[in-house]
Amino acid sequence: MSEHLSSREISEWATGTRSQEAENHLHKCAECREELTLLHGTLSDFRDSLRSWSTAEGVPPRLVWLRESPHRTHRVRWALVAMAMMMLVAIPVYRAREQRRLMDTSAEDAVLLEQIDANVSRTVPATMEPLTRLVSWSSTNPAATTKSLTKR
Amino acid sequence: MEPLAASGFLTGFASEAVELDDFDAVVRLHWPAVFRFALASVRDSDAAETLTQDCFLHAWRGRGRFRGESTVKTWIMRIAVNLVRDHSRNRRLQFWKRTTAQALDIQTAGERLADEQISSEARILREERIRAVWHVSASLPEQQRTAFLLRFVEDMELLEIAAAMGLKEGTVKVHLFRAVQTLRERLGGAQ
Repeated sequence: MSEHLSSREISEWATGTRSQEAENHLHKCAECREELTLLHGTLSDFRDSLRSWSTAEGVPPRLVWLRESPHRTHRVRWALVAMAMMMLVAIPVYRAREQRRLMDTSAEDAVLLEQIDANVSRTVPATMEPLTRLVSWSSTNPAATTKSLTKR
Repeated sequence: MEPLAASGFLTGFASEAVELDDFDAVVRLHWPAVFRFALASVRDSDAAETLTQDCFLHAWRGRGRFRGESTVKTWIMRIAVNLVRDHSRNRRLQFWKRTTAQALDIQTAGERLADEQISSEARILREERIRAVWHVSASLPEQQRTAFLLRFVEDMELLEIAAAMGLKEGTVKVHLFRAVQTLRERLGGAQ
């Protein structure tokens, strides 16, 4: 081995690749030992500064989503099942109500049409209807009725 | 020679045995590491927070596929690595990444040291070195930066990093070696 560890040997030692030869040299050579100690110190300081920084910047773990996610999934599933059940019940009820409404409407229409037919088929206007009760109304022929009224 | 090998330098932490069933505990335990990794990668706390949340959401949804072939941390970091990579490939966000990396983070990064009893001169030198590492990590190619952050910030073992990045251990070693070489070249003046 030369007088001191080579740059390569120092880097190898620092990364954990250590030969017996290098170790023997380090026992004897204060200069190489000092260089490695300084490197060690610098790396330790870097680690400490990073740890300090990350502690200052770091937020506490947010575990809420981790704990709640299975329950939340269950809740969503239950909500979907409940919604499906509600739809299964609501659809027939809605259909029945709609059918009833249609039937009511058609019954009302029928009554209205009957009233219209009745009005249209009158022989005399509604205001003259009391007169028809005073005379015999054997015929629907207005001329014949007039004649019988004249004879009297 | 005591300091380097025995002091914990470059040795990984034992992975925590956390049951995936207790997902709240998994989030509490790994959230800081994922957020840190995302923050160092994208240099934007809002984006990092979103990525971290996405990471745990993916993990939650995919927890049934976790076979225990790696540690929970490695598995979660793999999700984080993929999310950060996808985020970084969004060209629209690249602009903001560059902007924030230059403006906010690096300027203040060196000031985030623990308040230790050291001289002003030593403190300034130390802050300069930290800023240099920030600059280097920002300028590294994506895979080198990821390997670098997982190794030197998250203290992950090479095999864990390989699993998290979906690479071979040898490839991770190469990325790390190049990242450290670049860093040492950049620190040359500072040191």
